[in-house]
Amino acid sequence: MSRLPGPFLALLLVALLLPLVPLATWSVAHGWRFPDLLPRDWSLDAWAYALSPTAGVLRGLGLTAAIAGAATAGSLVIGLPAGRALGLYRFRGRAAVEILVLAPVLTPGIAAVFGLHALFLPLGLTNTVAGVALAHLIPVLPYTILVLSGVFAGYDTRAEYQARSLGASPFQVLRHVTWPAIRPGVIVAALFAFLVSWSQYLLTLVIGGGRVQTLPLQLFAFAGAGRADVTGAIAVVYVLPGILVLVLTSRRLTGRSAALAGFGR
Amino acid sequence: MRAARPWLLLLPALVVLGGLFLGGIAMAVARSLGITPTSGLSGFTLDAYRAVLSDQDIGLSLALSLWIAGASTALSALLAVPAALALRRVARGPVTFLFQLNLTIPHLVGAIGILYLFSQSGSFARLAHAFGAIERPGEFPALVHDPAAIGILLTYVWKELPFLGLVVLAQLQSLDRDFEAVARSLGASAWQRFRHVTLPMIAPGLVAASALVFAFTFGAYEVPALLGQNHPQALPVLAWRAFTDVDLDARPEAMALSVLIALVSAGLLWLYLRAFRAAPR
Amino acid sequence: MKIRAAAAATCVVLALAGAARADTADGDALIGRDWDAIVETARGGEVNFFLWGGSDTINRYVSDYLGGVLAEEYDITLNRVGLTDTVEAVNIVNGEVEAGVTDAGSVDLVWINGENFRTMRQGDLAWCGYTATLPNDALVDWSNPAVANDFGVPVDGCEVPWNRAQFAFAHDSATLPEPPRDMGALLDWIRANPGQFTYPAPPDFNGSVFVRHVFYHVAGGADRLLGPFDQALYDEIAPQVWTLLNDLEPSLWREGRTYPTAITQLDQMFANGEVAFTFNYDPAQFGLAVDAGIYPDSVRSYGLTDGTIGNTNYTLIPVNSPNKAAALVLQNLILSAEAQLEKARPEVWGATPGIEISRAAPGIREAFADLPSHPSVVPYDELAAAALPELQAEWIAAIEAGWIENVGR
Repeated sequence: MSRLPGPFLALLLVALLLPLVPLATWSVAHGWRFPDLLPRDWSLDAWAYALSPTAGVLRGLGLTAAIAGAATAGSLVIGLPAGRALGLYRFRGRAAVEILVLAPVLTPGIAAVFGLHALFLPLGLTNTVAGVALAHLIPVLPYTILVLSGVFAGYDTRAEYQARSLGASPFQVLRHVTWPAIRPGVIVAALFAFLVSWSQYLLTLVIGGGRVQTLPLQLFAFAGAGRADVTGAIAVVYVLPGILVLVLTSRRLTGRSAALAGFGR
Repeated sequence: MRAARPWLLLLPALVVLGGLFLGGIAMAVARSLGITPTSGLSGFTLDAYRAVLSDQDIGLSLALSLWIAGASTALSALLAVPAALALRRVARGPVTFLFQLNLTIPHLVGAIGILYLFSQSGSFARLAHAFGAIERPGEFPALVHDPAAIGILLTYVWKELPFLGLVVLAQLQSLDRDFEAVARSLGASAWQRFRHVTLPMIAPGLVAASALVFAFTFGAYEVPALLGQNHPQALPVLAWRAFTDVDLDARPEAMALSVLIALVSAGLLWLYLRAFRAAPR
Repeated sequence: MKIRAAAAATCVVLALAGAARADTADGDALIGRDWDAIVETARGGEVNFFLWGGSDTINRYVSDYLGGVLAEEYDITLNRVGLTDTVEAVNIVNGEVEAGVTDAGSVDLVWINGENFRTMRQGDLAWCGYTATLPNDALVDWSNPAVANDFGVPVDGCEVPWNRAQFAFAHDSATLPEPPRDMGALLDWIRANPGQFTYPAPPDFNGSVFVRHVFYHVAGGADRLLGPFDQALYDEIAPQVWTLLNDLEPSLWREGRTYPTAITQLDQMFANGEVAFTFNYDPAQFGLAVDAGIYPDSVRSYGLTDGTIGNTNYTLIPVNSPNKAAALVLQNLILSAEAQLEKARPEVWGATPGIEISRAAPGIREAFADLPSHPSVVPYDELAAAALPELQAEWIAAIEAGWIENVGR
């Protein structure tokens, strides 16, 4: 059995990586016009601008991370009990709950966002970071619940009963029995939840009303304005955290994990 | 009491998903019908739907969105199967990592990368010039901002192929290789083995995952906004334009468009999943 | 006891803070007040400035220069909010006011003109009648109709000029040394050189201006079209324009089957030699693009000799801005001769001042006269010699809708 990718797979891998090449190159290019295969000059101007306080890219990075962090934390708090319920219990109405959990994934993202804006407007949640983080729960929560229900489906509750019968308090059980067993799955769920929030564009644009300038909004603005060099630099800043997450989770990330579906949504 | 336990655990999730997702959709439906629940105003009207459906562009936009979602889902699924079969045979680690890489890269970044690669003055046009195939950018085929939406399809295939490939790969890995070996020993050809052993086992995962892809590509805004033509525009771009129209009267039309996108997508997915459930194996 | 005193003190501070906040949301309380008192009210606060965010040089000027002066001299924090399209800011204000948010809006100042200004006026979304309160208002020539009217809509003290702009074409002198200089010659050139010209589809701002130039050309000048919208006149001229533009399509980029969706797409095509021309309402952009390495150094710009349309762009304070005092301080700074001079430097922005230079101090006047010109940017005076006025917003809306209906489909 060959250990090297065949020509088809090799070509595919190159094709998958290709779109990143001009972006990274543009970020250090100055003057790169048809028909030049390589830029005339190299320059760090775009990076100097992107990393300057003026551009707000670093602020956008912090903001995007804060929103993703909040959405992740919220989805874990809500998703852990829900995942436990779906993973461990058979009950009437389960199918309906599963449909509701899956519905946001199976419905185009644009379906709920305008209505949500109308819902948030009188509550003062539009144009706010909190409102955007809350809205991100729509795409994030289904994946978190799916992953966590998978984690709990393989979880044996008998250890909890044994610990309780040996006199452990509920908190001790949680800390010394439940948590060690579910920890790997929870970490994966958290990382994926983070990435789902990380890549939201339309939801942030509509609910944030342009006031919440996350990285994808800044990227779109510069791409739309034709500044390929600055666009390239922001794109590199934007994709690095995701790649880092992948380095940490690559081994766990197989098609069996429901979280896979969450990437890039 | 025990019967209530799962419901108690589910309560926060049901409240949040029900409130945000169902609430958002319900609000969109209400607003599209001229009903403003918050202010108690109720002026039921079908004007927004009438306006949206009487627009002579709506048919073109619907066709374009169906083409984008259908073609990119079909292409990704078609390529994902051989990719997963090839991936199963090679060492894991770096190859898998590379295959997984753009799962983490947002669509928007991919779309911009595709733009820089495939525009008429992009990287491939320059290569064509270097090889003497073209003299001017205009001689390079139009692959972005083009009538067939090729640039949009390329972006979606680039992004969704690895996702579908990994889903198929997981199914292949959980598949008992003995079945294939038995089929081989019974004299089945490679095609027969694939058609009658491998394909039925990967189909359920592929069908479910491609349904996700269809729903996403049908309703996504940023890729067609960046790589589409000025006319016709994909449905989500049309909806966004109505939503941001300075004339606030156009807002119900945006709501109606988003409701229509959800309905069309849900209807097609239902037919699709039903067809596969009913299909003989 | 101590705790209770502290709580009481906190309440007082909160009440004062609330009062101060309400004070700057209540615009009428500021109008006519002593300028120093307004500055004191604004001190220590913030101002949210919404403007198109696609130019790194403009962003730098606003965040670094204007933001720097505000922070140093007035202790005011400037939050620059970048927009892809100004209509986003109009929508925010519109949505807020519709939802009853009348004194806690998120937009304090917006860079605006034309159709968006008309929308804000019609929806009573603009704060008005305050301009005379600004000390630097003295530098504005309100007697100039091109300043006192924003696309035919009277400004009426609802906004303050920032820049003057005039439409110009750019070409690469290395490949096209002698470009066509008037609209008739340009149309002939397009027919003689198929595939090398196009324009962004209206309602793109610049694409729309190009179509208006064709409108003026067909109408035999601007004079007949000025004034309120005239349906009969439109019905007479518009079909000729659509016929001309449709007949031109075989000679356009991609045979006119599609058009660029935005001016920036045309700019990219021009940069790579896909088309021979781009154009812009703000010719300073050509110089900035050359400096950024986007265009070759050999790019030159010019205005059509049979006339080029000019406009003024402004800053506007929405009616529900909670920081009106700080917004006034920023507007006064924007109008100052020093800030206008900094903005006019080619390496900063190169924008034409919105104020009357002759009213500035002698030192500033000399500095303006000594400004180096960018070889790629046509001098404003040269464009101003053939200036054409803008049409009223109703005309523009009708022409844009007509183009989409008859040419764009």
